[in-house]
Amino acid sequence: MILSKRMLPILGVVGIAALSACGTSTTTPSSSGGGGSSLASCQGSITVATDLPLTGGDATDGPPVEKAAHLAVTQANANKVLGGCTLKYVSKDDATVLKNGHDPAQGAANFTALSSDQSVVGVVGPFNSSVAVAEIPVASQNHLAMISPANTNPGLTQVGTNPDVNTTSLYPGAKTYFRVIGTDITQGQILSYVATKELNFTKAYSIDDQETYGKGLSTFFQKYFAADGGTIVGTASLPGTTKDFHTQVADAQSKGAQVIFFGGTSGNGCGILRSQMPASLPELGGDGCQDNKFISDAGSNALGSQVTSAPDASKLTTATQFYTDFKSTYNEDGTESPYTPYGFDAMNALIQAIKAVIVANHDQPPSDSQTFRDAVVAQLHQISYSGATGTVAFDANGDTTHAGFSLYTINGTKWAPKELLTADATGKVTVAG
Amino acid sequence: MALIEVESMVKRFGGLMAVNDVSFVIDTREIVSMIGPNGAGKTTAFNCVTGLYPMTSGAVRFDGHIITGQPPHRITRLGIARTFQNIRLFSFMTALDNVMVGAHWWMSARVWDSVVKSPRARADEKRVEARARDLLEQLGLTRYAGSYARELPYGLQRRLEIARALATQPRVLLLDEPAAGLNPQEKKELMALISRLRDEGLTIFLIEHDMRVVMEISDRIVVLDHGVKITEGKPAEVRSNPQVIEAYLGQGAAERMVDA
Amino acid sequence: MSDESPAAADGMLVDQRGLTSRSHRGAASSPAVVATSTVLRQLYSLVQRYFPQILVAGIALSILFVYTTGGLTLMGEQIKNALVLGAIYALVAIGYTMVYGIIELINFAHGDVFALSSFYALIIATSFGGFVNSLATGSGIGLLVALVILFVTTMAAAGFTGMAIERVAYRRLRDAPRLAPLITAIGVSFLLEGFMLVKFGADNVPTKNDLWITGTALTLGKVSIAWTDLFVFATAVALMFTLGAFVRITTLGKAMRATAQDRNASLLCGINVNRTISATFFIGSALAAAGGIVYSLNYHSIQWSLGYRLGIIAFTAAVLGGIGNIVGAGIGGFVIGIIYVFGGQLAGGEWSDSLIFAILVIILTFRPTGLFGVDVTTRA
Repeated sequence: MILSKRMLPILGVVGIAALSACGTSTTTPSSSGGGGSSLASCQGSITVATDLPLTGGDATDGPPVEKAAHLAVTQANANKVLGGCTLKYVSKDDATVLKNGHDPAQGAANFTALSSDQSVVGVVGPFNSSVAVAEIPVASQNHLAMISPANTNPGLTQVGTNPDVNTTSLYPGAKTYFRVIGTDITQGQILSYVATKELNFTKAYSIDDQETYGKGLSTFFQKYFAADGGTIVGTASLPGTTKDFHTQVADAQSKGAQVIFFGGTSGNGCGILRSQMPASLPELGGDGCQDNKFISDAGSNALGSQVTSAPDASKLTTATQFYTDFKSTYNEDGTESPYTPYGFDAMNALIQAIKAVIVANHDQPPSDSQTFRDAVVAQLHQISYSGATGTVAFDANGDTTHAGFSLYTINGTKWAPKELLTADATGKVTVAG
Repeated sequence: MALIEVESMVKRFGGLMAVNDVSFVIDTREIVSMIGPNGAGKTTAFNCVTGLYPMTSGAVRFDGHIITGQPPHRITRLGIARTFQNIRLFSFMTALDNVMVGAHWWMSARVWDSVVKSPRARADEKRVEARARDLLEQLGLTRYAGSYARELPYGLQRRLEIARALATQPRVLLLDEPAAGLNPQEKKELMALISRLRDEGLTIFLIEHDMRVVMEISDRIVVLDHGVKITEGKPAEVRSNPQVIEAYLGQGAAERMVDA
Repeated sequence: MSDESPAAADGMLVDQRGLTSRSHRGAASSPAVVATSTVLRQLYSLVQRYFPQILVAGIALSILFVYTTGGLTLMGEQIKNALVLGAIYALVAIGYTMVYGIIELINFAHGDVFALSSFYALIIATSFGGFVNSLATGSGIGLLVALVILFVTTMAAAGFTGMAIERVAYRRLRDAPRLAPLITAIGVSFLLEGFMLVKFGADNVPTKNDLWITGTALTLGKVSIAWTDLFVFATAVALMFTLGAFVRITTLGKAMRATAQDRNASLLCGINVNRTISATFFIGSALAAAGGIVYSLNYHSIQWSLGYRLGIIAFTAAVLGGIGNIVGAGIGGFVIGIIYVFGGQLAGGEWSDSLIFAILVIILTFRPTGLFGVDVTTRA
């Protein structure tokens, strides 16, 4: 209560900024490219950043997203989206040797550093929900907008959805957190739909990796699997260092499980589990499993796994230009991780919000960094931007308004999208294509 | 002729001069005793001769060659064996194994042979075992061959330690208080054993507190006090040396002198 | 090293504790407190005295419980899993126990030598243009030859690594206070982990020999036992008993036991103590390498960080078996495997690690000599 009272004046400022921004943003078309001539007088340098796991065990997750976000900044500068103003790009790595991958403590330290740099107005990241839990309070206190291209844990934005996350206490200041991916509530509903309706399973065994993301996804899968008429025959919660799953596989088999669900990441054993399962028993997982590490870990046993992940954008006409540009810039397909174009869209949405703020401020960046940051957050709440993956827009919680997940199976030695599924507010899942 | 020559041996521990410029000679087939009050530096001198302690300065010659600075196992292999004041057997091995350990170094087989159990290793193993059994018999320990060393009575443990030392095929045997803790009967047997070993060609160098034993078996006696050699000579000479009596009086050991 | 038998020492410890605590507390405490503490004390000494029986009974009950609740197949599957896991723990535990036995050092780098060996195995399996690999997957005899090549070269490489570690990091500290070599051991552990992290990367590295041995060997009831399971178990048991016999019978083995019991006396028996300690490190590391190989055959990926956790678990196995006792360490490895798997089955996998370390604490407080004490026949 005390906190929110102190926040009232700040919220007032945000509101005013939002209103004024709202008026002008309708006048500028919300598409990329083409610097408005009205911004020619804009002067100065504005910093945007990414915070992603780039090294260690997560070295397959972060880098493509980071490259896509970097590409968005490079293109915006080349196209003079901000007219005379330039964007400066900073990349932060939230992976540490100690954790052999994403490290919440490192993420928080990165956000503290970014917050204290007055030129930084927004960050794309993080990748992992556990890191987000550590970073959101820092961003919130420092009015810094953050857009995650990959966080799926609903507890980050929706109060009461995850017993392990106290959502209210994540935001000591303003709500500055956004994400362009659906939550695990939706993902759980879709996974349950796949398990019960498409694969006709009635008995499932669930294992999670004890982390914010994995435990949460596992909980939602169990909840909706039971709601859809299935039975969870057993569960296990194992640390990410686990290398031996034989005990749990034997347990699952003895209980007649038709599928083992893994809530967690490849770094925490999704593929290792697969390698220790009989080929005849399928594995189902979420977006944490959809990477090359899974395939290499699972070895000869990789086939027979199905996972959901970010909606596949590689076939969308709106994404064609992005993939062409990505390939010509980095000489990589950019299709290895479905999250890649979301990094691009998240950064572009941030740039569009910055642009709207500058326009509303008489073609100049606000001189006070806190005012600038607050205005960017307000603009993001209003934004409707047509990106590579579709329309980017956020609801009052900061969640994307276009929640869906694609189902992927292994085709040869690569993940291939099978179908796109969406869930509506009531939890009804439909196959969208 | 001199088998062991100790020349100006000095051993310092920090500020303490444990052995201070001590020289003496031990001839082949001689029995030499080293005596002195507790803390006189006798065991330290032993440790220096056998290479367990590096000497601060000085030299030890064995059979004319300087052995100072050589590692202990090499000195043992040259032909200097010893026993310890507080018995140090391999308590968790049988008596036979204890003696065999002493005999191992002179086996010709290499590690590889013992791994694959080559004929050479097997022949060696047999030779060593025969020799060990022979030694046990000489020392009257045959019926304890299969017993663990720690299960043997104290007196027999002392003998087993001598058997183990003999197994290394020494030319000199260093005994550190071999009579300690033995009853009169056992002491008598010990003295007989020492004389017999000498008769068989061994040189004996011992530290002993029991003056009856020392006076009876020694050819010569070296006396240390506070790390310094105060005298050396035949038993009769040492017994009447006033310096020696004084050194021992300080320790309240005059009675033992008189006794002897 | 005490000359008294462990049992006698234990007995004395109990008696003394009983006496002193009674006389100290009797006057000041209320009768209820005295009664409680007496009960606790009796419980304590009971646990201490009957520790092996309690452990065996607990394990038997767990297995029985799994049988009644999960059926015969589940019990069989889990016993198989426990023995395979236990075999790897056993092979690593032996190295801990040998090194501790001979120089009283907890060689923290040992787990990392295990992990490093699994990378050696990977390198050898893929070297010579994949010659060994194609040999192994070509024919039955080819597989045998490939396995011999893999075991001999990997174990030798790991053995020399272990020897080098001892020579560089431990030898000069042999007579230093106990803490000094312990700290260098931790340092060597981090050094090896860092080396593996940089050289082989942070990711799981797929092993190339996981398809060498495939197929089901036999089916007992509904439990199918793969050839790999059988191979891992047989390798561990065979090496364990070979080593036990080696230490008991051979010259070098006797030298090791002698050095472990009294280093100075061994020196004065003409034993080259440095070489004997080197040999101990060689053998211990080579056995860890055998563990690394069977790990890479059975699991499909290896990691730079593999040795840390597995090392601590294997160390627990060594303590359980009575540190210094080779066959004890082997048996301890299997017991820990059973505790890990059945504990995981009954209490949930998230408790497996905690259970192992609870066992470690219990052994150290109640029965520091482990299950088999300082076994007279195999102490090395």
